[in-house]
Amino acid sequence: MSRRNVVRLIRFCVALLVLAIFLFPIYWLVITAFKQESEWFTTPPVFWPSKFTLSNFLGTGSTTFGTTTTSIAGIVPFLRNSVVVATTTSIVSTIIAAFAAYSIARTKIGGTGLAGWFISMRFLPPIASAIPLYVIFSKISLLNTWWALILPYLVPTTALSIWLLISFFNEIPQEIEEAAYIDGASRTQAFLQVVLPLSAPGLAAAAILAFIQSWGEFLLALVLTSNASAQTLPVYLGRYITGWRVAWGPLSAAGLVTMLPVIVFALITQRYLIRGLTLGAVK
Amino acid sequence: MKLKLLLLALALLSVLAFAEVTISVVACSDNADSLKWLAEEFMKRNPDIKVEVTTLSWEVLYPRILADISAKSGAFDVFNWDVMTAGAVSQGCLDLFEFIKQNPDLVDPSYDMDDLLPLAKNLGIWDGKLVGFPYFNNTMLFYYRKDLFENPKYKEEFEKMFGRPLRVPTTWAEAVDVARYFTKSYNKNSPTQYGIALMFPTTHTMFYMYLIFFGPYRRSVEGLTRFGPVDLDYGDYFTADRKPAFASDLGLKAFEDMKALMPYSPDPLGSDYGETLEYFAKGIVAMVPQWTNPYLQFKSSPALQPAAEKIGIAPMPGRSVAGNWALGINKFISTEKQKAAFKFIQFATSKWADKEKLIRFAIAPVRKSTLEDAEAQNAIPWVKVLPSIYADETFRPRIPEEPRLEDISNINFAKILSGELPLTLDTLNKLANEWEKVLTK
Amino acid sequence: MTSTHKRTGFFMVLPAIVLFLVMTVYPFAYMIYNSFTNLDLSKSGTGQFVGLRNYTDIVRDQLALSSIEFTALMVLIAVPVEMILGLALSYLIRGLFAEKALRSLFLIPMMVPAAVGGFGWKMLFNFIFGPINYFLNLIGLQSIEWFGKINTARTAVMIVEIWQWTPFVFLILYAALQALPKDILDAGKVDGADGWRLFLHIELPLLRPILYVTLLLRIIDVLRTFDSVYMTTYGGPGSATSTWSFYAYKVTVSYGWNIGYGSALCVILVIVSGILINTLTRVLNIGRELGLSKE
Repeated sequence: MSRRNVVRLIRFCVALLVLAIFLFPIYWLVITAFKQESEWFTTPPVFWPSKFTLSNFLGTGSTTFGTTTTSIAGIVPFLRNSVVVATTTSIVSTIIAAFAAYSIARTKIGGTGLAGWFISMRFLPPIASAIPLYVIFSKISLLNTWWALILPYLVPTTALSIWLLISFFNEIPQEIEEAAYIDGASRTQAFLQVVLPLSAPGLAAAAILAFIQSWGEFLLALVLTSNASAQTLPVYLGRYITGWRVAWGPLSAAGLVTMLPVIVFALITQRYLIRGLTLGAVK
Repeated sequence: MKLKLLLLALALLSVLAFAEVTISVVACSDNADSLKWLAEEFMKRNPDIKVEVTTLSWEVLYPRILADISAKSGAFDVFNWDVMTAGAVSQGCLDLFEFIKQNPDLVDPSYDMDDLLPLAKNLGIWDGKLVGFPYFNNTMLFYYRKDLFENPKYKEEFEKMFGRPLRVPTTWAEAVDVARYFTKSYNKNSPTQYGIALMFPTTHTMFYMYLIFFGPYRRSVEGLTRFGPVDLDYGDYFTADRKPAFASDLGLKAFEDMKALMPYSPDPLGSDYGETLEYFAKGIVAMVPQWTNPYLQFKSSPALQPAAEKIGIAPMPGRSVAGNWALGINKFISTEKQKAAFKFIQFATSKWADKEKLIRFAIAPVRKSTLEDAEAQNAIPWVKVLPSIYADETFRPRIPEEPRLEDISNINFAKILSGELPLTLDTLNKLANEWEKVLTK
Repeated sequence: MTSTHKRTGFFMVLPAIVLFLVMTVYPFAYMIYNSFTNLDLSKSGTGQFVGLRNYTDIVRDQLALSSIEFTALMVLIAVPVEMILGLALSYLIRGLFAEKALRSLFLIPMMVPAAVGGFGWKMLFNFIFGPINYFLNLIGLQSIEWFGKINTARTAVMIVEIWQWTPFVFLILYAALQALPKDILDAGKVDGADGWRLFLHIELPLLRPILYVTLLLRIIDVLRTFDSVYMTTYGGPGSATSTWSFYAYKVTVSYGWNIGYGSALCVILVIVSGILINTLTRVLNIGRELGLSKE
């Protein structure tokens, strides 16, 4: 084996080791979700369940407790709310950001000042807006609806997407659009028909990041929604931590349901994420 | 099969058609199961009212209720609130005394207000108004490993080491030797790894844990003479004239008692109830101060079988602390909803419900009749211990500033216990000054 | 550039402007206004104007000051670790066997919702039952009371942050590495640069802008650290792991909506973030990086 190959092999082993460390917490959550109650917490820890059980999901493991903490019963509406809120936020924020970023990239409208203002919107602490939004939303009967979450989530996601997309649009040669103008296209037409298809990877990257961000949000979801008709998964998780036990197994099971969709979604789409960032992030 | 489904659908439809009023109950997850079950039972008897239960964890329930009250948004019709928040929550809750006077037709003649245990009921009264019916009379118990305390081998060994018989401690000073005996690093023959599981984390847990240590001093003859009787609104932390009582030599002693036990406890400053419950349930420790309802978890733990022989329950060596919950009605909803909500909370705290929720969900009772009931006493071993505990348990302040006092104190207490702040009267006086600032704002 | 194009350009940014005005300007104005009042939802009859009192209170608030301390530590320790680790990882897996699979797997922690990751780590850090102490014992070390001691609790929170956010840094830097212009790299190789020299003299300068942008993003996000603290230590022991955002949350929300004082804390956070963003955008010349200004 040549020296180069040895180095590569060592690098590969190091990469696997680091990966194992990074994925261990997720592994732990997943196996805890399938452990029977006697193996949630033991000394030494159980690294591979003696029996894989679905009782943490179905609530068949325990007869002493009610249903609130023994299973993930009733998680479906919360899952639905999370999907609707994250998907809508992701799509709407990408559209708004695409128009804004394109306009800034091409017409330099507002210059650094406007771009800076947009970007700074990402950094407003969510706590600051919780109460004012609660008051407004209760006046216009928006509390405990999907829009009560989508609207505030649009702010940080759109801000990040604008930033991402400005540099992305800068990458697309202006000559392509100028060719379209010569053919008689308007700016909007040029944008929709020529630039947008070319920038699909960048838009996908922005949409994916927006999805991830809004999927996991906790604070505003807690304040602005009040029951299963609009609450999202992170708020649902709180029920497993009670004064009489922390139901680690069902909590992990619900955690699995909470993280699985976003991980699967992001893994399927991450090709676009990398491609989008590759084109856009560096000039 | 199809016919059955059709019938089921029809049955559901008819229920929905009847459901003229929907009331939404927000509950802490400790009470969610029992409330959901009671809601089902209630709806069977009252087909015209639909009850929905929303579950939130303790940390977020209180701010959520306050937000609802202050925006008058009526998101929830019935609040399940911790009585320590009585002062703050009272701004948005109906006065049930007044409501009963104005709606005598709604009152169940068999409800029997006098059957409610006095402290449980009084903790739901604020400024002369009954802002909630007592629902869950939670209190702290001292769980211990009965099998170990009764084992002749350990009894003999303990007596040899400490010159007195091994018994369940009745004071914290007594608990120190016992905890030491059951800690492996101090006694290699110990059957358990640690003596006692304590929880002193920087969360609301700290605030009630301190009272089980300070309580015996505050309620001692000396404490009562120096500080006066305990004020129902300000609780054991305060003197009768509403000054912080813990900023005293007696307050220091409570901290010393806590510190003396810490070496025999697994990670006391980093453990909360989730952890200490597991330590006892898995046989890691010999003793644990815990609430009433963890008994269910202990009873089902494989490490503690047979439960009747292994789980012992005693009153707290110091003094217990109340952790009561009440059911109140939102002031800012329609009269129609208020009436439906009243029917529900009256039902959920009735004699029948009090006993059922104890037997089915280990929810500690708020009624004398339940405590005296033979069936109830047989269902859960702690029922017999409760009357003596309820007679003299301590409680936290119920003033609107309570959560804030709690936060400053949790942080400072943790610093005192970890040694970051010196355990001196000066430290406690500084904290008392912070309290005064919050109180005068 | 024709005027119609300018006008279309204006209409294209309009939705974003409207969104931000509606969703942030009012709440922000409301927050500034509240920061001068004693509004407190746990007490009726509050909301009077108190001038600058909330701000003068912050200066004397020991808990606020110690939150600044830990937040600063996070910026000074966690962020550099994330940057170095993220960069190292992107180099480590470049050109390796199964590179694409490795890359995908490394991204997973950043997708895990913070609430889920938080309680996962809480199980791992458990004093008696946690696998981390188990591994420490295996290599002959003592169990650590992770959440019970100041320094270990701080380390634990930083580990959670680093775990969650290194993948984000990795993602951006990995993408950036892919996009480095081939011709310059090849020219470098022809000149005999390899390994470290290629990295130091050619790749690093090329990566500089994106490193700056990533650093800026991370610093500002760390200022808002909330979830990882909320789910693990709850700010303890004492105030050791309380961040500015977490403290503001406790004051504003969890201990009864002390909105007046909480708003003042938020205003300070926004101002500090603003100053930081502004300074950094200037120092790092982000405007140029975004192609908005020449210098």
